[in-house]
Amino acid sequence: MSGGQEPKSVFGRNDVRAGIAFGYVALAAFVFWPASTTVNATAPGAQTVVTQKSTQVAQAVTAPAAAPAAAVATPAAPAPLDKEAAAAIAALAKISDYQKARWHPLHFKPAIDTASNDQCLACHKEVLDTKVRDKSPAGVAAAQSVAWYQTLDTFEGGQDTFHARHMSTPFAKTVMNLKCNFCHQGNDPREEAQHSSATSVNAGVTMRKMVDPSKTCLMCHGKFPGVVMGFEDQPWHALREGMETPDAPNGCLSCHADQFRTERHKVNYLNAAAIESEAKTKSDTCFGCHGGRAWYRNSYPYPRHPWPGMDPVVPEWAKNRPTQSAAEHLAGVK
Amino acid sequence: MAEPLDKAKIKEAVIRKKREVYEPVKPDLQLGFIHNNVDCIGCRACEIACKDKNGLAPGPRFRRVMYVEGGKFPDVYAYKVNMSCNHCAEPACLPTCPTGAIYKRQKDGIVDIDSSLCIGCRRCEAACPFGAPQFIPDQNIVSKCNMCVDEIDAGRKPYCVMACMMRVLDIGPIDKLRDGTHETKARGPNDYIVSQVQSMADPELTKPSIVFIPHSKGAVK
Repeated sequence: MSGGQEPKSVFGRNDVRAGIAFGYVALAAFVFWPASTTVNATAPGAQTVVTQKSTQVAQAVTAPAAAPAAAVATPAAPAPLDKEAAAAIAALAKISDYQKARWHPLHFKPAIDTASNDQCLACHKEVLDTKVRDKSPAGVAAAQSVAWYQTLDTFEGGQDTFHARHMSTPFAKTVMNLKCNFCHQGNDPREEAQHSSATSVNAGVTMRKMVDPSKTCLMCHGKFPGVVMGFEDQPWHALREGMETPDAPNGCLSCHADQFRTERHKVNYLNAAAIESEAKTKSDTCFGCHGGRAWYRNSYPYPRHPWPGMDPVVPEWAKNRPTQSAAEHLAGVK
Repeated sequence: MAEPLDKAKIKEAVIRKKREVYEPVKPDLQLGFIHNNVDCIGCRACEIACKDKNGLAPGPRFRRVMYVEGGKFPDVYAYKVNMSCNHCAEPACLPTCPTGAIYKRQKDGIVDIDSSLCIGCRRCEAACPFGAPQFIPDQNIVSKCNMCVDEIDAGRKPYCVMACMMRVLDIGPIDKLRDGTHETKARGPNDYIVSQVQSMADPELTKPSIVFIPHSKGAVK
């Protein structure tokens, strides 16, 4: 059928449909009305989050994340926690009531903006401990699965969760410096559509998400911005041929070593020096985040940081772009 | 019995195929949803019908009715936005999947997931701008709305649509829903259609197959 046609079966008849609808309305009323905000609280997965983690908190306090192995430019080691911060984190672990945890101020603006990873991981450490299944229910082995974007030469290791790929794998530790609150920007359990009520703070998140993907995910998962470089809609895999040699494996540096030299990597969620260093030897270091892992079909409008020798004439495509990153992302801002 | 997979062979194939890129499926027809934000009373019958059909435990919800309330007295307002998977023209979930569990049907553009192939990496869940893929914790897999493909193939409409007593939720060819030429009870004679409402992620990310009859305070474009 085409989906637009009225159904021809018995279920399409209005009287039957009304009966079905009434049944589900009654069921919905029974399930949701008594305590609509507590439905998730009874989810088995949610219940265990807070109650099982007290031992992990101690680890989080006394054993900060291991220093990146083989990082070309090792990011600064996290400063040791002062007594007050350590006590605050330890206190988080003692919250054994799910509702109390859910309504903890740390989940709301403005506290979430300054939350440290240690604070988040005090209760949510399982996000880094969770592993993918060895085999799918039908027997597909994780170790023998490779996605198209995992053919980039920056990919190493086996399949892992997206949390691990963003925070704890060697590549993530080398080139990224993501904090939990880069993506998880707050959550108000009162509202299903965040910041829609008169009393809420605009958290900048979108429906059913704790983040606005256009302002975060799109930075590294957007389309190759060939149009602004004058390549029209040609993909990089069609352009790179001839730009790369064994001695200079990264074709991006043909133009972006000196001629077009922005400073946009100098943001607090990336390890700029490590990216520069990796880019000299790996052909996909730049492309990986500039089209190589494009889940989204548009490009991120990066700020156009000026560089020495930059043409003072602003091209048409850059006319409305900012000339520096958002204040919270500037290098040096914690 | 199938031959066991040779990892070296796969690696060799990967090297050979290096620099091939993902191209979204361009379906013959794209089905999509229409939801009337104003006339929806938020009964959640659609949610429950969906959970019933898919045997979902209390946590995951393929479809969600979101109550939007705002304004200051006397200019207050309330409306509902109802979303499940939007079966995007260019879905973000699909290219993230390392096992090929997610696919888009050529004939009607439905984005389906074969959860029996899922290894639980949860990348699709993170990538979807609309929160559609749902993690099933006890199985460590992800599942999501597939527009009840079995019902569609049987010539019927999805459970959520069938359960809607207000007739504010419907499906149809998305291009016809957008230009208002598809006959549906979700749209009244003086209603207009938008592709984005307040607080919804940018449709340009994935081009979701959904349109809304917006509340005057909720329309974006």
